[in-house]
Amino acid sequence: METSFAITGKGYVIVAADTTASRSIVKMKVDEDKIKTLSPHLLMAYSGEPGDTMQFAEYVERNIRLYQIRNLYALRPSAAASWIRRSLAESIRSRKPYAVNLLLGGYDTATHTPHLYWVDYLGTMTEVPFGAHGYGSYFALSLLDRYHDPEASLEEGLATLKRCIEEVSKRLVVAPGNYKVKVVDKNGVREVEL
Amino acid sequence: MPDMVSLAQPQQRQFNPYADNGGTILAIAGADFTVIAGDTRQSEGYSIQTRYAPKVFRLTDRAVLAVNGFAADGNMFVKKVRQRLEWYRHAHAKDMPLRAIARLIQTMLYARRFFPFYVYNILGGIEEDGSGAVYSFDPVGSYEREACRAAGAAQSLVQPFLDNQIYFKNQVPAPGMAHPVHLPLSTVLSLVIDSFTSATERHIEVGDGLEMYVVLAKGSTAIQSLSTVRGIQEMTVTEDGERVFVIRRELKKD
Amino acid sequence: MNTFADRFSTTTAASQLRHAQKLAEEEEFDATMWGSSAGFGSLTKGVPTFTVPAVPDPTAFLRLHTDDHADPSCRIKIKHGTTTLAFRFQGGVIVAVDSRATAGSYIASGTVKKVIEINPYLLGTMAGGAADCQFWETYLGMHCRLHELRNRERISVSAASKYLSNLVYSYKGMGLSMGTMICGWDKTGPAVFYVDSDGTRLKGDLFAVGSGSTFAYGVLDQGYRWDLTDEEAQELGRRSIYAAGHRDAFSGNTCNLYHVKEAGWTFLGNYDISQMHYEGPGDVPGAPGGGYGYDIRVEGRNSSDPPEEAAAA
Repeated sequence: METSFAITGKGYVIVAADTTASRSIVKMKVDEDKIKTLSPHLLMAYSGEPGDTMQFAEYVERNIRLYQIRNLYALRPSAAASWIRRSLAESIRSRKPYAVNLLLGGYDTATHTPHLYWVDYLGTMTEVPFGAHGYGSYFALSLLDRYHDPEASLEEGLATLKRCIEEVSKRLVVAPGNYKVKVVDKNGVREVEL
Repeated sequence: MPDMVSLAQPQQRQFNPYADNGGTILAIAGADFTVIAGDTRQSEGYSIQTRYAPKVFRLTDRAVLAVNGFAADGNMFVKKVRQRLEWYRHAHAKDMPLRAIARLIQTMLYARRFFPFYVYNILGGIEEDGSGAVYSFDPVGSYEREACRAAGAAQSLVQPFLDNQIYFKNQVPAPGMAHPVHLPLSTVLSLVIDSFTSATERHIEVGDGLEMYVVLAKGSTAIQSLSTVRGIQEMTVTEDGERVFVIRRELKKD
Repeated sequence: MNTFADRFSTTTAASQLRHAQKLAEEEEFDATMWGSSAGFGSLTKGVPTFTVPAVPDPTAFLRLHTDDHADPSCRIKIKHGTTTLAFRFQGGVIVAVDSRATAGSYIASGTVKKVIEINPYLLGTMAGGAADCQFWETYLGMHCRLHELRNRERISVSAASKYLSNLVYSYKGMGLSMGTMICGWDKTGPAVFYVDSDGTRLKGDLFAVGSGSTFAYGVLDQGYRWDLTDEEAQELGRRSIYAAGHRDAFSGNTCNLYHVKEAGWTFLGNYDISQMHYEGPGDVPGAPGGGYGYDIRVEGRNSSDPPEEAAAA
């Protein structure tokens, strides 16, 4: 089943999402990238109802880009998160809501601080030091309560993420096989290999 | 003709041998005494069936049982427990000890695991070592010894009050002081009365009358604080042992 | 169609219930139950007998009145919600449990003993129906003692757990609910068996059972090694129950910790989960000092990474 994690550390956010796209009991694709780069310093991992996920992610992606074109600067992470949350909040009150859960990881270049927002399809948003969606969260959250360090170096942060992924692979019956991992920091966004 | 056909079909009727008769029971153990109390209102839905239906029963001179839930099951259950205690008396020429009564109640409730008594039981009394004890049960017989327990309609109103006043939960003692481990009988009786008057104010199924049974250990000094209690009545049967008293009070009747 | 088959078969739950019903219809107590068997009167026939309602499907009757997942308004609320764990390691077996019992969203008790002391060298844990675990594990204790008297040696953990497993399996489909770990030390060394009311029985090194088990696993798996010292193992058990109490709403209040060694089990203590969050478990071997809580552990640390000149300004 779909699982995503995100962890903040000293000057960065790591966002990880599994790469399976499934329909019913069938894996349709095993290398799907479910983390979008919304702006030079903003990542969004999305999961939920197939179809809704991609439609909503692309809608957000284009609107964030439009803001940047119009204003010649990108939204800061907190502002982008607020706008995205509002979009979901309006959606849930519409005839056909998007059922999409998000993890928004961004680096605020003005305050040199990483930010992570946990957002669900109801429009609930909370800023967290670490977050997870899907069945994996039942194993990862207690683990992160124990091992997460807000001042961890990138290597340490990736080691903690690896612990989460290994724990979920060990215990979850429907554990995903592969994950895509991206990092956002002062240098922008990049993909990393675990 | 279609009617005739439908009558020939097998019929399924819903079998519901349970009702909720409201009310609340409560028990608190002290160092060498136990107080077991219950209101006397019996209701079904929004109708009051009677203003005096006892829910607290003397079993022996050292054991008192309070039952709450479905009154018919409760009365039947008390009857059966008393029968078993009488058999025990005939076989052993003594009263069954409290912890043995507790285990007996577990096996009797669990024997009905697939057709449960809808009864929440609280057993109070004096252990063989002379200490006050309360045992609380779920309808199918899981039990635990505690110092205090409220059950029934207003348990969610009364139990938090007791947690605060008996166990001193979320209270910090004054510097250099400590919370008392056991409270005196007079304090416990006041807490019981306050619990029921307050539950009567805020719960429609609680009220009419209050019965408080007090079980005293052999030679308990708490007897002194009972001498001034208005309308107290002694229920003790045997001599030179534990003593049982009942105190009755009125509760609001609206 | 199924009902038709049920009526004439002799192996289904319904027919077994009919058999139990027939037994129950006989005189409930006879003269031999007087006296010393007074406490276990319903057991004197050799096997316990149960009263069963006179309806075509007694299991459905029981479910109708007791299943609080299907119908939160049903009357008889059987207590649920738990975290229990047990693991085997070089120094024996660690058993740790929480102490919360919930009926719906009401915390019915915060002081439940979820470790059942079957005898001085066997422990059972309690998850699922409180009465089911308490009753059958006590009953198991009686039979372990009978085994000792008959065979002049202690029952193995394997045999004890198999006895319980076979017993609950004979009631399959009738609504029992239990998930338990039978832990002890026998000729083979430390042993842990997982037994549940489906009839599953598993031998293993490490188990967690209950609604908070996933959260306990998260901490337990990461800290577990066979060659843990006694102190490290005790700390890991405590810390895992804390994690579950913190993240699972149906678990909490306090943690009870036991250690089984060759000479039998010892009770190590009762630790308040709230206190562990803020202050830690107190002065106990293996504790790192300080609260387990995330906010307490990382207090004063933050993820901002300002460049040198910005930090100076």
